[in-house]
Amino acid sequence: MKAKKITALALASLMAASTVLAGCGGSGGGSGSGGSGSGATEVTFWTLNTRQEAVDPIVEEFNSQNEDIQVTVSYYDTDGIKDACKVAASSDTLPNMWFNWGGSLGSFYVDNGLTYDLTSYAEENNWSEKFNSNALDLCTFDEKVSGYPTSYNILGIYYRKDIFEQYGLEVPTTFEEFEQVCATLKENGITPISTAGLNGWHVMRFLELLIEYYAGAEQHDAMNTFDESWDNDAVAQAFEKYKEFVDKGYFPEGFLTQDPNDTLIAVANGDCAMDVQGQWYDGNIIQNEQDINNYGVFAFPSGGSNRMSSFAEMTQFNANNTEEELDACVAFMDFYYSQENADQYSEYYNLPLPTADPEMPEDQPNVPIMLEMGETNGTFTITDQALPTEVADVLFNCQDAVANGQMDPADAGADIQAAIESYNANNG
Amino acid sequence: MKKNKNIVKTEKSAWLFMLPAAIIYLSVIVIPVFYSLYISLFKWNGIGEMTFVGLDNYLNLFSGDATFRTAIINNLIWIVLTIVVTMTVSLGFAVILNKQFRGRTFFRGFFYFPCVIAPIAVAIIWRWIYNPNMGFINQFFEAIGIDFSQQWISNPDTSLYAVFIAALWQAIGQPMILFLAGLQAISPDVLEAATIDGASGVKRFFYITIPLLKDTFVIVIATLITAALKVYDVVQGLTGGGPNDATQMLSTYMYSQVFQYNNVGYGTAVACIMVIMMMVVIVPYVSFTAKED
Repeated sequence: MKAKKITALALASLMAASTVLAGCGGSGGGSGSGGSGSGATEVTFWTLNTRQEAVDPIVEEFNSQNEDIQVTVSYYDTDGIKDACKVAASSDTLPNMWFNWGGSLGSFYVDNGLTYDLTSYAEENNWSEKFNSNALDLCTFDEKVSGYPTSYNILGIYYRKDIFEQYGLEVPTTFEEFEQVCATLKENGITPISTAGLNGWHVMRFLELLIEYYAGAEQHDAMNTFDESWDNDAVAQAFEKYKEFVDKGYFPEGFLTQDPNDTLIAVANGDCAMDVQGQWYDGNIIQNEQDINNYGVFAFPSGGSNRMSSFAEMTQFNANNTEEELDACVAFMDFYYSQENADQYSEYYNLPLPTADPEMPEDQPNVPIMLEMGETNGTFTITDQALPTEVADVLFNCQDAVANGQMDPADAGADIQAAIESYNANNG
Repeated sequence: MKKNKNIVKTEKSAWLFMLPAAIIYLSVIVIPVFYSLYISLFKWNGIGEMTFVGLDNYLNLFSGDATFRTAIINNLIWIVLTIVVTMTVSLGFAVILNKQFRGRTFFRGFFYFPCVIAPIAVAIIWRWIYNPNMGFINQFFEAIGIDFSQQWISNPDTSLYAVFIAALWQAIGQPMILFLAGLQAISPDVLEAATIDGASGVKRFFYITIPLLKDTFVIVIATLITAALKVYDVVQGLTGGGPNDATQMLSTYMYSQVFQYNNVGYGTAVACIMVIMMMVVIVPYVSFTAKED
C-alpha cells in the first residue's frame, strides 16, 4: 500500500515536472528538408501569414509548373515567425528556407552557422547586377551573402490628407511644426498618432525618430553600434518628449497593450491622423479597401537631412540544404519574386522588388515617394534590428514604464545601457 | 503451482505490453525533464558550445534579476486568485447547475463553452473587450452614464487582474465539470437524511456536501495550482507580459529567455524553479490528503 502511494506521488511529481520542463529539453531532429518518394525535390518554406493570399496560389502554380520540385509552405504572424524559427534553430528543424529580417534578427542564424553561405552562388549568378545594392548589403553579414533579398523598406509618416486639409494643416518641415500639427489635431478631437505597444516595436518606430532628432545622425548610429553609451542627454530628451506626447494624448488611449497590426483601424476611421509605417502600407491600405488617395507620406522632421529608418527583408536558406534543394529554393524565390507575380498580387508584396532597376507599382502612389525620400534623405537601421532582442525588449519596457509614469525619462538611457553591458558580458 | 506459473507469465506479457508506452514516456517526458535540469547548469544559446556554470544561473536569478522577482510575485498572486476566485466561482456554478430546473443542460454547455476556446483566441476577444476606445466595458459604462473609462490592461495597477478575469472566464469550465461530477456522486439519501434531521440548506452544504467533495477538491486544487503556475497563452496574447513587466509570469519570462534571447540555460533554470514551486505546494498537499484517507 505504502509502495503504491509512493509510486503515485512520484508519478504525480514527474507529471508536474513534465508540464514545464519537457518543452525545454528536446534535442535535435533533422534539417526539416526531405526527399520525396516521387523523385521530386521537396522544400519547406516558412513565411508571414499576411501574405498567404498571394503565396498560396503562387506555390500552387510553381508546383504545377515544376514537377521536379515540391514547395510546402507554413504561415506565422510577425512575432510568431521570430519565435518559431528560434525554436526550430535550437532543435535543428529549420525549414529549407524561411522569411527573415536583416540586422540582429537575421544575423543570429548566420552567427550560428545555420544559413547557407550564398557568397559564391551570388557571384556565379551575378546577384550584384540583379539586386539593389542596399538590399544586398543588408543581407550580407561578415562579408557573407546570407539571404535572398526580398524587400528594402523605408519608414516615414503616413498621414490622412483629407484630415490635414480639413484643419488647414501643411506637411511639417520642422519638429516645431510637427508639434504644432499634433496640437491642432488634438484640439479638434483627432488623436495625432496611431500606435500600439503590444510587443513594443510599433511605439519604438516613433521613439527612434525622437532619438534621431535629439542625438543627430552620427551619435544615433554610434549608439546603435554600441560605440557610444545610451545613457546620454539625447536619449533622456527623447524619452521626455515621448512622455510629453503621451500626457498630451497624442497617442490613442490604452495604446501600450494594443495590437500593432490594428493601427490602421484608427487611421481609417478618422480617429487618428498619422501612423509611422513603411512603403508597404500602401498595400495594406488597398487590401483594407481604403481610398489610397486619402493617404500621403512625409519624412519625420528629425533634423539634418531628415533620415528615415530602414530595414531589409530576405529569405534565408538552411545551411544543411543539398545543392539540389538550394537550386529548388532559389528557383522558387525567383518565381515568387518575379515582376509578373509582384504585379498580380502587388498588395501582398513590400514593393518595389529589391532589384537593381525596380518597377514601381502603379496603384501604390506613395511607394516611389518613400523610396526617393529614403535615397535623398539617407537612412538608419531600424532599432529592433540594430539592437539584440534582449536589449530591444528593455527599451520597450522603458517605453511602457515612462508612459505609465513608473520611470523618470532621464533614467531610461541608463537601463538600456545596462542591458547592453549585460548582453556584451554574456556574448563577449 | 500451476496458478503461480500463470501469474509469472502474465507479468512478463504485461511488461511487454507496457514497453512501447514506456519507451515513449521515457523519451518525451522523463529524459527531457532530466536533460532540462542538466541544461540549467550551463550557459548555452541552444546551438553553440555549452559552458558549465554550476548554479550561477540560479544565483543570478535570485540575486539581481528584477523581472524574475516580479514574475514570481505575479505567479503567487495568480495562484491565490485562482484558488480563491476560480474555485469558488466554479463550485458556485456547479451547485446551481446541479439543481433541477428548465434549461439546465443548455446552461451547463453555456458555462462550459469558453473552456473549449483556444487561450490565444480568448486573449484576442478580451483585448477588444478591454479596448479603452471601442471596447465593451468602457462603452457599457458610457451607455449607462457612468464616467468610469479605464485603460484596463495598459494600466500596471489593473493589468494583472484584468488578465486574470479574462483567464477566469475560460478557466471555470473545467473545475465546474469536476465539481458537478462530484456533486452527482453524492447520494441524495444522505442529504435527505440531513434534511429530516433539521439541517438547513447552508448547513447541508458546509457539513455534508463539502466534506463529501474532498476527493474532487484534491484534484481541482492540484490542477488549478499547476495551471496557475504555468499560465502563459492568455497573458502572452493579451499583454505579452507588459506593460513594463506588470503581467510578467515565470512561463512568459522563461519563454523570452529560452526562445527569444537564446539564453537557454538561464531560461531552463526558470523552468526548474517553476517545477520546484509546484512540488513544494502540490506534493505535501496530495501527500497530506492521501494520509487522511
